[in-house]
Amino acid sequence: MNNLNLSQTSSTPSILADWSKGIVQMKGDSYPENSFELFQPLIDWVQAYLATAGQPLHLDLELVYLNTSSIRSMMDIFEQMEAAHKKGQMVSARWFYDFANERVGQLAEEFREDCTFPFTISSKPR
Amino acid sequence: MTNQPSPIDLLAIRDIFNRQNIMLCFNGPITAPLIEEIGKALRNHMEGLQESPSSVADVFSVYIEMAQNIRRYSQAEGFEHEAATIIISRNEPGNYVISASNFIKAADGESLLERISQLEHMDKDALKAAFKTQLRQPRTALSGSAGLGLIDMARKATAKLRYSLQPLDNGRSLFSLRVIL
Repeated sequence: MNNLNLSQTSSTPSILADWSKGIVQMKGDSYPENSFELFQPLIDWVQAYLATAGQPLHLDLELVYLNTSSIRSMMDIFEQMEAAHKKGQMVSARWFYDFANERVGQLAEEFREDCTFPFTISSKPR
Repeated sequence: MTNQPSPIDLLAIRDIFNRQNIMLCFNGPITAPLIEEIGKALRNHMEGLQESPSSVADVFSVYIEMAQNIRRYSQAEGFEHEAATIIISRNEPGNYVISASNFIKAADGESLLERISQLEHMDKDALKAAFKTQLRQPRTALSGSAGLGLIDMARKATAKLRYSLQPLDNGRSLFSLRVIL
C-alpha cells in the first residue's frame, strides 16, 4: 500500500500516512465542503493497514477546528482503531493542541471517551 | 419624469447595520470559496478584537455549520442560484449572534421544524448524547450530510435556538435560524 501525503490548505489538514513507520499524522483545520471525499482515502488506508500490516498504528494529531462532517470522519477512523485494539492489535493516538484553545481539548476529550486504547491529549504553548 | 426605481440608500442600510450591531453580513448565492473567505475574514476580525480563542472558535464553527448546511441543501435541491442571508452580529449584552435564512421546500420546512423542536427540550447532557448517537448512524443512513450540524449548534448556544418558517406562495418557505452564543 502506498503512503498518503496531502498538503495542508486553509480548509483541509495535512495528512501523512506512513506504512513502514505505522504512523498517521494530521495537522491543521478541517472544514472542507465535502469531508467524506477528503477522508475516504485515509479511512481506506487505515482499514488496509490494520488488516494487513501486522504492526502497531500510531495516530499523531495536531488538528485544530473540525466541522461536523470531519468529526464524523475522524470517528470512523477511531472506531476502526478501537475494533483493532479489541482484537489485540497495538494502536495509539496522541492529540496536541494549543492550551489557549480549550475547544480543541474538549473535542479530543469527547473522542477519547469512546476509546479504550492509549490516547493522550497534550496541550502545548504555541 | 420617468418612474425609475429609487437609488439604493446605502446610508440607510449602513445605519441599520450599525443599529443592529452587525459585524458581517452576506446576502446572495453562496459558494464554497465564499464560505471560506468570509470565514477567514470573521476569524481575523475577531482576533483583532482580542476575543478569546474559544469565542472565536465557537462563532466560526456555528457560521461554518450554518453556511455549509445551506450550501449543501441548496445544491441538492437546485436552489444554488437563490440568495441566502448570513449575518453575524452582537446583541445588547454582547453575545455573538449568528443568523441565517434560505429558501427551502415547504415540506422540508415542516420536518426541519420538527427536528429543531426536538432539540429544544434537551439539556446539554441530552444534546451530547444525541450528538454521539447521530455520530454512530451508519453511513448508508446519511445522505451526504453527517446530520450533526444542528445538534452541534444547539450544544454551543447559550440560549434556545430561534427559528421561523415563512410560507411563500410557490411551494417554498423561507427558513430562518438564529443562534446566540
